[in-house]
Amino acid sequence: MLVAALLCYAGFGCLCLAMERHHQGVLGRKPGRLLQVALRVAAALLWLVALAQVMWAAGWAIGLAQGVGLAMASAGMLVGLLSYWPRLALGLAALAIPGALVAGLA
Amino acid sequence: MAWLHTWLGLCFGWLLFAIFFTGTLSYFKEELSHWAQPEVPVRAVDTRTALGNAQAYLAQQAAQADTWYIMPPTSRQAALEVMWQAPPGAGSRFISKPLDPASGALVAARDSKGGDFFYRFHYELELNYPFGRWLASAAALVMLIALVSGIITHKKIFKEFFTFRPGKGQRSWLDGHNAVAVLALPFHVMITYSGLVIFMAMLLPVTLMTVYKGEPAGFYQALFPNAFPAPAKGEPGTLVALPDLYDQAQRQWPGARFSRVEVQHPGDQGARVVFYRHGGDRVAYLPGASLAFDGVTGQLIESAIPGDGAMLVAGGFYGLHMGQFAGPVERWLYFVFGLSGTAMVGTGLVLWLTKRQLKHAREARPPFGLRLVATLNLAGMAGLLLAVAGFLTANRLLPVHMVGRAEWEVRVFFLTWLVSLLYAAWRPTRQGWVHQLSVAAVLYAVLPLLGMVTTARGLPQAIAVQDWAIAGVDLTLLGAACMLAWLARKVAVKSATRVAPARVARVAP
Repeated sequence: MLVAALLCYAGFGCLCLAMERHHQGVLGRKPGRLLQVALRVAAALLWLVALAQVMWAAGWAIGLAQGVGLAMASAGMLVGLLSYWPRLALGLAALAIPGALVAGLA
Repeated sequence: MAWLHTWLGLCFGWLLFAIFFTGTLSYFKEELSHWAQPEVPVRAVDTRTALGNAQAYLAQQAAQADTWYIMPPTSRQAALEVMWQAPPGAGSRFISKPLDPASGALVAARDSKGGDFFYRFHYELELNYPFGRWLASAAALVMLIALVSGIITHKKIFKEFFTFRPGKGQRSWLDGHNAVAVLALPFHVMITYSGLVIFMAMLLPVTLMTVYKGEPAGFYQALFPNAFPAPAKGEPGTLVALPDLYDQAQRQWPGARFSRVEVQHPGDQGARVVFYRHGGDRVAYLPGASLAFDGVTGQLIESAIPGDGAMLVAGGFYGLHMGQFAGPVERWLYFVFGLSGTAMVGTGLVLWLTKRQLKHAREARPPFGLRLVATLNLAGMAGLLLAVAGFLTANRLLPVHMVGRAEWEVRVFFLTWLVSLLYAAWRPTRQGWVHQLSVAAVLYAVLPLLGMVTTARGLPQAIAVQDWAIAGVDLTLLGAACMLAWLARKVAVKSATRVAPARVARVAP
C-alpha cells in the first residue's frame, strides 16, 4: 500500500503543478500549455499505476477501496503541506516516485 | 441552490455533526468496547477451542433455550460472547455473557455498552424504534442534498482544489470547509448514500412489497436462508461437538472466519448449527452467507451465499459503509475521513454564524437568532466532545459492581451534554468556546491516567502486554487532548485580538 500511497501523492503533485497559480507560486513562472497537458497526463498515469498495484495486491474490490482511500489521503496531505511549506510539499512529490520504486522493489 | 445549502445545512447541522462524529468513533467500536471492559483477557485467537468452551458453558447454563448464539473472538474482539433468549418476563429479550475464550470461564467484566453505545447512537440517536432510524435517515437525505447543492454553491472547489489559506479569518473557514469537503468527496458521497441503502427496506417498502408479492418476509428469507429453522421435533438428541463442525466448516470454506455460530433447538433431534461468515472476509456485506449443519449427525445441510445482482450491489454499499473488511491502515483512513466529514459539517456551522455576526458586530447585544445558533454551535460541537469524555470518564469512575452501571454511563453522557448546553446558553461566546474546549482537553488527557489508577490495564500495562486496542484508545485520547488544547489556545488568542476596537471598526460595513 505504501507504493500506491507514494504514487498517488506524486500524481497529485503533478496535478497541482499543472495549475497556474501553484506553478507560479512554487517555481516562479507560468507553465506552458504543453507542460500543463504533460503534467496532467503524468498525474493520470501515476494514479492508474497506483490503482493497478493495490488491485493486483489485494483483489479488485478491496484494492479499489484502498486506491480511492489512499488518493483522498494523499491529496489531503499535499494540501496540508502546501498551505504551510509549498516547496517541501512538491519536493516530497518529486521524491515520491523514486521512493515508490525503492519500496516496490524492496 | 446556495439558499438550500445554507438553510438545510444549518437546520440539520448539529444532528449531522453528532451522527458523523459518533459514526467515526464506531469504526473503532470493538476497540472502544474492549477499552470499556479492560477485565476481558486478550488471548491468541483460537476459534476451535473457543467454540468447545462455549458449547460446554451453554449446555450447563442454557440447556432449555431455543437458540444459542455464539460470537467467537476475533483479532479485534477479545471476549467469547454467548447469548440466548431470556425466559419471558425477564426484562430484556436476551441474556449475554462474556467468556474467557481459552478457559470458558465467565469473565467478571464491568457492565458497559462501550463502543456499542456510539454505534447505536449513530443511527438510532437513543430514540425508540423506528423513530431514531427515520430521523437518522432524514438527516442522511438532507446530507445528500447538502452535498450536491454544496458542489454547485461552492463551484470553485475544483478550481481551488489545492487551496487552503490559513490565518485569514472568514476566508480560512471557507477554504477549510471546501477543502475537507472536496478532498474526501468520494467518501462523503459514499457514506451518505450507503447510509440510505442500509435502511432501504424501511425507507422504500413499496418495492419490497411489489417484488415479494406483498409478503416482505420472503425478502428476509432470501437474505438469510438459514435463519428460519423448522420447528423442534420434540425428541431429545445429542448435539454434535462444535469444534468438529468448525473443522468441517473450514474444509468447506478454507480460511473463512465466522462472526456468529447459531445453534437452533440444542438438545433436540432436529438441532441445526449455522456458521455465519465474518463480514470482514470481503468488501460486500452479505450477512446471510452461512453454512448449515445437522446438529445431531453433523451432515452439511446447506451452503448459502445469497448475493447476486441487486443484493450484491446493496451489500457492496453496506460493506463500504461499515468497513468491516478494513485492516489497521484502512480503518485509520476511515477514521480520518469520518473526522473530515465531521469537520465539514462543523466548519459549515461556524461559517453560517461568523458571516452573520460580522453584520451585527457593532450592536451591543446580537439578535436572538444569532445567540441561539451560537449556543447550539457551542453545545452541539464542543458539548458533544465533552459528553463523549463524560461517558468514558463514567466508565472509569463508576463503581465496578454498581447496579445499572451501563445505563448510568449513558445518563452521564446526556447529563454532561445538558450541562454544556446550559453553560453555552449562558455564555455563547468565544470565551465559552475556550472554557468548554479547555475542560474537554483536560478530561481527555486525564482519561488514560484514570485507566492507570482504576483498572489493571492502564496505558503502560497495555503496551507491556501488547494490548494495542486499549493502548491505541488511550494514545488517541491523548492526541485528542493535544488537539483540543491547541484549538482552545487558538480561539483564546483570536478572542483577545477581537476585543481591540480597531478590528471591529474595520469589519463594520
